Amino acid sequence: MTNKTTTLSKNQKLILTLLQEAQQKTGFISEEAMVGIAESLGISRSDVYGVATFYSFLSVQPQGRNVIRICKSLPCHLKNGQEIIESLEKQLGVKPGETTPDGKFSFTLTNCIGECDQAPAMLINDDVHGNLTPDKIARILKTYK
Amino acid sequence: MADITVTMNGKQVGGPAGITILELAKQNGIDIPTLCYLEGLPPTGSCRVCVVEVEGSRTLVASCHTPISAGMIIQTHSPKVLEARRVIVELLLASHCGTCYMCEKANICELREVAVDLDVGVPRFPIRRRFYPIEDESPYITRDLSKCILCRKCIRACNEVAKKHVYAMGYRGFDSKVVVDFDEVLNKEVCRDCGICIPYCPTGALSNPQKSRKDKKGPPLVIKG
Repeated sequence: MTNKTTTLSKNQKLILTLLQEAQQKTGFISEEAMVGIAESLGISRSDVYGVATFYSFLSVQPQGRNVIRICKSLPCHLKNGQEIIESLEKQLGVKPGETTPDGKFSFTLTNCIGECDQAPAMLINDDVHGNLTPDKIARILKTYK
Repeated sequence: MADITVTMNGKQVGGPAGITILELAKQNGIDIPTLCYLEGLPPTGSCRVCVVEVEGSRTLVASCHTPISAGMIIQTHSPKVLEARRVIVELLLASHCGTCYMCEKANICELREVAVDLDVGVPRFPIRRRFYPIEDESPYITRDLSKCILCRKCIRACNEVAKKHVYAMGYRGFDSKVVVDFDEVLNKEVCRDCGICIPYCPTGALSNPQKSRKDKKGPPLVIKG
């Protein structure tokens, strides 16, 4: 068994670190960045793209100034998460995965962010907002520029 | 290597250490259905069709990636196993696009064969299906990802057999998809002169480009009244 399993080389394990660096520097991971990472690690472009699209905190599309991440996992869903998602859709006028035309907000769904005790919860950039209601969201959105 | 003795379906059988339950079953003439298993390549255990019951194990285990260990008591065709397999295949079929009668592979499809063997019937679950446009730009491979069951065989065939590294898994959960480069349409720029992955596909997701389509390349004939 052991001789059959494929192992990544030490370099290839750096893929997440490099993708995070690219994400931090430009706000998203461009195709050029992915080509560069693939070449420097000696893996295929599709593998890099596969990792970059798997994680909800990595983005392959340009993002707005503020990134809203709403939790779509079970605890938030049970606490009316869907209602929150729909109300945010209405307030921003965009669907999950899209950016508002003025570039102010990007709105994405994410997996559990570990704020289940304050469900339903969302992240705006690095700030946690819990126990959300449609009214509360409207107030929170006003504080971001 | 030292031989290990296990009990399989009530019979004592032995095999060398390190082989999997599936391999041991094969050696002893027991047929366990598989979809994602590829002989000689590392197992992924993604299709779950090969699950078996191992006494003392909390769950059913996938036989393709579970090595045998001394004293294991294995049931390969118990009612519990068969029921689990049926539901697994039923779920695979439920999210499969379901136009089998129009599919080229209808009579040689591995997914359909397994479903027929297990008497699965028409799936009960009205779940969301994934539909993607057919990719027929490449002269070597036609891809219809609506039919893909994400077994990852084409990825392994491309990486390990052809050594081309064209495919990879992209996205997550329900959106999972076999991607080419940055989720591009499979064309002859990224993949050429190969087609090794086609026979590995257990469904009709990968196929040889049909000859008939070439005949359609000519100017359209319009009958005017």
